[in-house]
Amino acid sequence: MQTTGVSGRGARFKRVARGRDAFWLYMAIALALLALEVFGSGVPRQIRGYANDLAAPLLSLLDGPIRATQAGLERVAGVGDIYSENQELRDENDRLRQWREAAQRLILENERLRQILKVPQREIPPLVTASVIGVGGGAFERSVLINAGAGDNVATSLPVVDEEGLVGRTIEVGLLTTRVLLITDLNSRVPIRLERTGDVAIAEGMNEPFMRLRFLPVDSTAQIGDRVVTSGHGGLYPPDVPVAQVTSIEDDFIRLTPLSNLEALDFVRVMDYRPLAPEAEAEQASGEEGTG
Amino acid sequence: MAPARQTQPLFGAIGLMPITVSFLLAMLMLLPLGSGIAGYATPHLVMISCFYWLSWRPLLMPYGACMLLGLFLDLWLGVPLGVNIVMLLLTRLFVLNQLKYYKGKNRGVYWLVFSVMALGFFTISWLIMSAVAGTLLPVDTVFLQWLVTSFFYAPVAFVLGRLRRWVL
Repeated sequence: MQTTGVSGRGARFKRVARGRDAFWLYMAIALALLALEVFGSGVPRQIRGYANDLAAPLLSLLDGPIRATQAGLERVAGVGDIYSENQELRDENDRLRQWREAAQRLILENERLRQILKVPQREIPPLVTASVIGVGGGAFERSVLINAGAGDNVATSLPVVDEEGLVGRTIEVGLLTTRVLLITDLNSRVPIRLERTGDVAIAEGMNEPFMRLRFLPVDSTAQIGDRVVTSGHGGLYPPDVPVAQVTSIEDDFIRLTPLSNLEALDFVRVMDYRPLAPEAEAEQASGEEGTG
Repeated sequence: MAPARQTQPLFGAIGLMPITVSFLLAMLMLLPLGSGIAGYATPHLVMISCFYWLSWRPLLMPYGACMLLGLFLDLWLGVPLGVNIVMLLLTRLFVLNQLKYYKGKNRGVYWLVFSVMALGFFTISWLIMSAVAGTLLPVDTVFLQWLVTSFFYAPVAFVLGRLRRWVL
């Protein structure tokens, strides 16, 4: 009996020792991976891009029922407000009709002026429209996963928008999926321009639902309600894409609320905006000067 | 006489249930559910699942499984590789060392132990992320995720408990 007890204890001791070895082995692997991230290797980012492709089929499969459930719940919750909402929509529709007429006049006028001045077109064509199939980052990053990848000609650092404004930019591209870093992420810095005054500044993400306006010229005065659009500086984002609105000003803290619907993104557009390399840009500028 | 409850590890397909369930919960963490888009209010369902299964069937959730689950989470969530691996490995280490103190106690004690453990591990993950980013990241979003994760422990553990009694 005693022999059995001793051998039982021995087996348990061996199992514990094996477990401890496994713990330290896996911990060493985790630390090595973290070291790879810290020392700036691009390998983890590339691996992540393709790993998202593995999850994409299941996420796409679950996407349909989830959207249907959410839409159903929203419909049930919205029944009570339907009459007041209907009246608001009618009023808004009247206002929009007037705006449409004004906009059509301005488009024609703008087009004529561009032709007279030989100004190149600034419209950025959409590369692909994709559905948001996943979220990421936990408490540390703000990113979403979309179901378009290298197979759809998506590349890194392309701007992504929804129907209201700027959403973010592509950071990890797999074959079927792409991760989009949202403008509210801590690592996001968007060069912007105050639409009212034309002053340039930076919209900084804070891992919060809002952003912070920074580096505004000292003589500039932002007001609540001011819209900010991309300035085009830095070359990552095209100019004049709506970004956010000033919602509060407390001392030097100017809070921006994104115009895009980041809380409930469904479809987004990846823009085909591939800025020229600095050398090519310089060449083009010198060429234009020569012809002018 | 009632048959003795199964205490030995189960092998085969049923023995893989804790890992499979945790894997599915990892998928659930990725889905764009309402405010989940914003990310900061998503509970760490995999940590809850690992803690639960380690407390009830530790042999069915080995270190290798914690490592793989952590790796997939890191890959899919887009956070630096290693963060969730460290958290899940530490979850297993913690439970195996502390289980003797809370095993058999009521559900509230399990909930409390989980909350305290999660607070420690979220703090560790915040330190790791800050080290990788090279700056101190804001704590409020991490604190919020800890609160949400702690709150979600009870309903998720309840569902996992039903599943365990039904299958294992």
